[in-house]
Amino acid sequence: MRGYHDIGGQPAGRVRKLPETFDGWEAQAEIVRNLLADAGRRMTYVDELRRAYESFGAEKYKALSFYERRVEALLYLLEEKGIVSREELDARIAHITLRERERQRSEPKPRRAR
Amino acid sequence: MFRPGQRVRVRNPRKTGHVRTPSFIRGKTGVVETWVGTFLNPEEIAYGRTGGPAVHNYRVVFRQHDVWPDYAGSRGDRLYLEVYEHWLEPAAGNLRGG
Repeated sequence: MRGYHDIGGQPAGRVRKLPETFDGWEAQAEIVRNLLADAGRRMTYVDELRRAYESFGAEKYKALSFYERRVEALLYLLEEKGIVSREELDARIAHITLRERERQRSEPKPRRAR
Repeated sequence: MFRPGQRVRVRNPRKTGHVRTPSFIRGKTGVVETWVGTFLNPEEIAYGRTGGPAVHNYRVVFRQHDVWPDYAGSRGDRLYLEVYEHWLEPAAGNLRGG
């Protein structure tokens, strides 16, 4: 049985070749993923991430980018293993969002270059 | 264990869940190029079972014409794929595919 992620050899039309660029958060996501799997933690493995996003369902899988998939899978596993709960995560996101808003408000406006 | 030069067929089990062998290669016959090493089975790690045992992995070479029925490239084109031992079974003959 072929899973929705198993697309080798399937018709895909013309392949668009774009220069590869990374957003900062994408690099951070990989750093966090690596740290969670290191010898001191051994919390999540890349094979588990694959298993997780292969179980998301085709619709969600296709709607997410490569790194979005990996982050979603990481969150899914951290919750599955009882390491981080969804509530803790939401609380932390709210905290950081507020902090960033405060920071932007207090920063002096950039002066226009002459 | 398989040895270099041995013809092997990729199994096509009715296995669900996470697997590392893509569907396009299942049922295809190739030749063992080299033994890659032993690794914990990613199909077990995927479910948090990290206790082993380690399994053999082989680099297998296939003729592109054997893999894709409508392949339009050169007769000499090859596909190299690393496959875990439990996905392989011996196939007839042990000469290198011409």
